[in-house]
Amino acid sequence: MAGILAADQVTKVFSVAGAAAVMAVDRFSLDVEDGEFVCLLGASGCGKSTILNMFAGFVPPTSGEVRLRGVPIRAIEPRCGMVFQSYALFPWKTVRANVEFGLKMQGAPSHERRRIAQRFIEMVKLTGFEDHYPSELSGGMQQRVTFARLLAANPEVLLMDEPFAALDAMTRQVMQEELLRIHAENRKTTVFITHSIDEALILADRIVVMSARPGRVKAVLENTLPTPRRVTVQLSPEFAKLKADVWALVESEVRHHDETSSRAAAV
Amino acid sequence: MATAEQVATARPPIAASKAAPLPGRPVYRRPWVLGIASVLALLAIWSAATGFGWIAPVFLPSPAAVVTEAWKLLMHGQLLTDILMSSKRVFLGFGLATLVAVPLGIVMAVWSPAKAILDPFVSLLRPLPSITWIPLSILWLGIGESQKIAIVFMGSWIYILLYTYESTKRVDPLLVRAARNLGAGDLAIMREVVLPGALPGILAGLKVTLAISWSCVLSAEMIAAQNGLGALIWQAKDWGNLALVLVGMICISLTVLVADYFANMLERFLLPWERNRRL
Repeated sequence: MAGILAADQVTKVFSVAGAAAVMAVDRFSLDVEDGEFVCLLGASGCGKSTILNMFAGFVPPTSGEVRLRGVPIRAIEPRCGMVFQSYALFPWKTVRANVEFGLKMQGAPSHERRRIAQRFIEMVKLTGFEDHYPSELSGGMQQRVTFARLLAANPEVLLMDEPFAALDAMTRQVMQEELLRIHAENRKTTVFITHSIDEALILADRIVVMSARPGRVKAVLENTLPTPRRVTVQLSPEFAKLKADVWALVESEVRHHDETSSRAAAV
Repeated sequence: MATAEQVATARPPIAASKAAPLPGRPVYRRPWVLGIASVLALLAIWSAATGFGWIAPVFLPSPAAVVTEAWKLLMHGQLLTDILMSSKRVFLGFGLATLVAVPLGIVMAVWSPAKAILDPFVSLLRPLPSITWIPLSILWLGIGESQKIAIVFMGSWIYILLYTYESTKRVDPLLVRAARNLGAGDLAIMREVVLPGALPGILAGLKVTLAISWSCVLSAEMIAAQNGLGALIWQAKDWGNLALVLVGMICISLTVLVADYFANMLERFLLPWERNRRL
């Protein structure tokens, strides 16, 4: 199976006038297979979001290249659809109009938009809320609308930037399970960012462990937990063992990052 | 599996709390009762002050005298004419300012050369109160309707421009990014994201500016006009009819209140998604 999304020796340096340049990502390479679910796991500030933003075409790499089906990504790429941590729903549009947005941009006729949107609204279990505005929904429901909005637009790759970080622990588990179900259904290639080892182990086929800033690939792990998975996989002994393995990899990075930031704070 | 969450949070209970009286709050403490009571109290003090002769009628006429004067003018038909004439001038001047300044403000916000070109004029014109335009406007336009409308226009357009510019600038860039990620081009971004995102701020600015437009028309009418509420007050002053001055002032307040009421209705109609936020 050919890789669909690739990062090739990608480096990103942010330079702000009057401040020292910051290297956020350092020679990051990754090949994502078609239909694969990849988690980028790393401490905060390790450049995970920057990598995702480069895949979406929001920011260009300083050097190296990101590619979709072998073609370099040089502008905002609607075939790489993004789920934002803060939802980014249009407050002035109803749930239905939000979900229809991508189809409208693609020029789909209105009855078809409505039919497709309805299917995804049902898929994320928001039937009955079609005419509500986002401000009338809870955080978990709003995040479900962003999933429906993205899936209805039918991009080739799903990029998810800690989509459940703002949710309470119980809602998060429900959402993780929904995401597993959705992914099992449509097998969309997904790159998912998280700083939670549990979340990565529940969701991913493959886990890319990132080093602290600048972001590098520290290790790549195949997730050997059986599929299809449910969140209850957390209770299995295999899960505990894998978690210990991942933690061993991550721990030094977190400590290192913490030390450098406290040293910076002391100066 | 999501039903419990949905039931718990589906509708914020704000709407319900507005419809039903708050439990435990006695009738005499409800806002509208207190409001009416305070107006009645003021009227009572005013009546007493004039009735017992604490204040001479040349300084403050009694409420009864004001009502009599208002009734006379209303029967005569002049009061309605004055209200309508002032309203018409505000409507035209303010409407014209909106038509010019809202598009300009949006263009300034999304296209920086336009801002660079217009900025000097905005900075120079902003400090000028609309009455400073009266001499020039009379010279150029005479003392007819167009001069009043021009004064309202000159007093309003810059505020509308600045409110529009600010609200357009404040549209969340993340939403623009999300829209582009979903395949929106420049035109679609404008129509689907920037305009609706800026609309609440623009409407709030228009409401503030509407009150400013009213003060512009009144000053224009005081200086050179045959009719309108400003002219009414100024002529009443020349005749020494203080009751009539008060009639004019009360009519101004009431007319602006009515205009504000309709502006709020329009706002609620245009911004359905903000309904449960602004009750």
